[in-house]
Amino acid sequence: MSIPSQRTGATSPPERGRELLARKWSYLLSGVVVVALDRDELDREMRDRLNELCAAVHAEESSDRPASRAAERIGQQLVALGYVTEDGLRVTLDVLGKGLLGLAEFQPVDRYAQPVVAVLGALSSGFLAASRRAVFEQQESMQLSLLKAVRDAQWNLKESEARFEEVATSSASGILVVDLAGWIVRANAAIGDILGYTTEELTGFALFDLAHPASARALGDALGALLRGEQERVRQPQRLLRQDGDVARISLTVSMVRGADGEPGHFVAVVEDGTELMLLQSELNRQALHDVSTGLPNRQYFTTHLESALRRADPVRGISLFHLDIDAFGMVCNSLGRPTGERLLVHVSQRLKAVLAREKAMIARFDGDEFAILVENAATTPDVAATVAEINRELSEPVYFDDRGLAVSVSVGVVRRPPPDWTPEEVIRAAEQALRRAKSSGRGQWALFHDRQDADERRVDALAVAMPGAWEHGEVGVRYEPVVRLTGRGLVGVAAKLHWDRGDDPLDHAGCTALAERTGLILPLGEWQLATACGQLGWWGQRATFTAALHVGLTRNQSRDGDLVRRVRRVLGDTGLPSGRLVIGMPVSVLAESDAVDNLTVLDELGVGTSLDDFGLGPDDLAVAAELPVGSVRVARRLVARQAGGEAEFLAGLVPLARQAGVEVLVDGLETREQAEWWRAAGAVAGTGQFFGEPLPASAFHDPVEWYD
Amino acid sequence: MTQSEWIPSGVDISVPSVARTYDYMLGGAHNFAVDRALGERIESMMPGLRNAARVNRAFLGRVVRFMVDQGVRQFLDIGSGIPTVGNVHEVAQAAAPGCRVLYVDRDPVAVAHSELMLVGNDDAAVVQADMREPAAILGSDAARRLLDFEQPIGVLMLLMLHWVPDEADPRALVTRYRDALAPGSYLAITHVTGDNQSDNLSDATDAIKQSNSPDQVNLRSHAEITRMFDGFELVAPGLVGCGEWRPGGPGDIASEPDMNMLVYAGVGRKL
Repeated sequence: MSIPSQRTGATSPPERGRELLARKWSYLLSGVVVVALDRDELDREMRDRLNELCAAVHAEESSDRPASRAAERIGQQLVALGYVTEDGLRVTLDVLGKGLLGLAEFQPVDRYAQPVVAVLGALSSGFLAASRRAVFEQQESMQLSLLKAVRDAQWNLKESEARFEEVATSSASGILVVDLAGWIVRANAAIGDILGYTTEELTGFALFDLAHPASARALGDALGALLRGEQERVRQPQRLLRQDGDVARISLTVSMVRGADGEPGHFVAVVEDGTELMLLQSELNRQALHDVSTGLPNRQYFTTHLESALRRADPVRGISLFHLDIDAFGMVCNSLGRPTGERLLVHVSQRLKAVLAREKAMIARFDGDEFAILVENAATTPDVAATVAEINRELSEPVYFDDRGLAVSVSVGVVRRPPPDWTPEEVIRAAEQALRRAKSSGRGQWALFHDRQDADERRVDALAVAMPGAWEHGEVGVRYEPVVRLTGRGLVGVAAKLHWDRGDDPLDHAGCTALAERTGLILPLGEWQLATACGQLGWWGQRATFTAALHVGLTRNQSRDGDLVRRVRRVLGDTGLPSGRLVIGMPVSVLAESDAVDNLTVLDELGVGTSLDDFGLGPDDLAVAAELPVGSVRVARRLVARQAGGEAEFLAGLVPLARQAGVEVLVDGLETREQAEWWRAAGAVAGTGQFFGEPLPASAFHDPVEWYD
Repeated sequence: MTQSEWIPSGVDISVPSVARTYDYMLGGAHNFAVDRALGERIESMMPGLRNAARVNRAFLGRVVRFMVDQGVRQFLDIGSGIPTVGNVHEVAQAAAPGCRVLYVDRDPVAVAHSELMLVGNDDAAVVQADMREPAAILGSDAARRLLDFEQPIGVLMLLMLHWVPDEADPRALVTRYRDALAPGSYLAITHVTGDNQSDNLSDATDAIKQSNSPDQVNLRSHAEITRMFDGFELVAPGLVGCGEWRPGGPGDIASEPDMNMLVYAGVGRKL
């Protein structure tokens, strides 16, 4: 090294330099760590550590004794400060790496560089080892806390007998059920093992017979307190007498189980010996990876398993992943109760196991009523269709719960031979997507995942995500479409439509609302659309002859928005448009929901015109039109198109029926003069569509005052 | 439902817990995979959030020392979470031996952990309860054993009230606690706010929503949080960004200005 010696330390005491360096260390550390010390304490702490570190460097340099142990210990002490993490180590190495070699006492640099590096290296390895230990300790303490929480909760709860049995038999803790007089009425195997009796023998004893005379009194007090309701649960160290005369030192927790009426029912005593915690812990570890009701692996376990299965999959046959959802499970729970639902899940899991018994497969329960199956395909594995058919055939055999036969079906999404470089999450997501598609085609269906479909859906998602930004940047605008009277062709209204200007690939109103509906953006966007259009109408309305109404069609979410009325009032208030000039349309199907009905009713009371969109497709549509305060209906585009195709002349009958219900009939999507004529003859009053003009920006819209055919 | 009814939802480790996620943000390992996943998602939306957590933790230390300086010797920490580094009893008992601390949390795992930690510390205890049940907390055996309501008590509600929805009327709840306190008692609140944040924060609250965590964030404004101090006199500097409440050193302030303003902190003295 060519750095010249800068030795000045002979005159200045080393303390000064160290003091500054220690402060800097402490200062920077305090910005990244969480410790219990305050600033001054931390300063002092770091000064001590730095002194030790400097001593270690000197020792290393003179190599008269090994310094690495001391430096490792400093690393450990750093970890012991609190939550120091990798950021704390980084800061430490940053500060000390530069700072130590700047100290006067470590000149010349080329003599001390190696010892400093060695000492910092040892500090890092000490830090790393201690940090690993700290993480393990914390994780272990969490495991123990979790275990304790589960246990505490279990004994807190008033459990049904059946649940109790289940817990008692599988529990590694000794459990005694003791009646109010103190007689043991039931004991599990674990307590038998602890005390050296059989469970049958134990049921003849009084609890007090088992207690060591010296502690029987404390036990009596505890039971008394429970009986009088002063406490719900008592815990005490106890000595119980074993069959062989030895004394078992155990921890005893007794709680009172009350009946549904709240009256004391019986005591439950939980007996734990030292090894119990360990055993229950292993049970808990199992539970953390398994679903409690069905005993199947849970999603977490499944995902881990899937990861290794993907890696080791047969390159030709690969694996198949099935994602299943029980059809109408919610209905089962609602009508027969949640316990029956749980039993059904167990039943389904058993049948799935039976179907896949010959395969190398893992069956897991995901959330709710969803299951997943991973099959590692072999030469004899049946194809996907056969497997799904077999599953549904198995499940279609009714199973009887309380004399009620239940047969279910499942919808299934399948991913066949996913590429080995996919992550488990990608595979599961693909299966979910296929499942969604299967469900959309009805019950008991299955669908294979196709890559292209995934890409399409992702494209739509990406668009939906980009929309708020586009709106902010003014790419989403309002366009206006003429609503024209079919007799005489006068302009009776202007419909406000959304339009997203995306260069060569613009998105029309239907596209915009579908996207915005997905993300919830529709609510603010819709209000803005309404405000913009009302303002525009006011602008046109400065000419006295302009009297057309503004038509705004809402989406489902807008229609049932709890804030809808407030939004409309606000816009009308802000723009000054008379409420009678606004016509709000709602999809007729949404009026099955009371929120939408409320909105429609209040809007009508405010004097706003109301309209039912997509009219004519549902059996109740006419009833809705008759019962609710509706001014007009707008025939669904699909029906208009069918009429144009000549396949729905019966629609002519729809118009008079609607008029009988007291509403005017408007028609959407008119493309030709013939269509317009046909609907005029049928009795519709007005329409929109290509024939009368596409939606246009306000500036390009025909001067509405001058509008005529 | 993936768990049987006899295991309460709070013990379901497939659902993240606020307390454990906070511990992870602080750099601890008292957490499970779901908590870490949620922590990482939120942090990716609000870079620097770890610093906000750390700054809040540093505030805890300052405020406890401040209260001890004012003569307070008993503390009620509601929403105490996982008792990690620099917890109330550690700081208070170091500043003035004999300080008594009652922790309250509703997360059964956090409570179990606190119990294990407090074994052998007669001056500190934990109660499992929801802050919405003041009577259960104030009337608990542990409260009667540890707290003397004739003397000032330091009440801490740190990063807690924003988990209480408006329907539960957090302000009225705070009043219930206030009424139980002697004059000269202190109340410290830290509360997440949307006043100084925009999109990142709503992304983060959405992430919490989607995580199925039973707890959801309710952002409140400076005025709303100030009103929670009804009947208290705010001590200087008033309700301010968490890092700005009497910082003692650079470590008390986050390097990102946003992170200092994400959480309001204030301390009031009961009149």
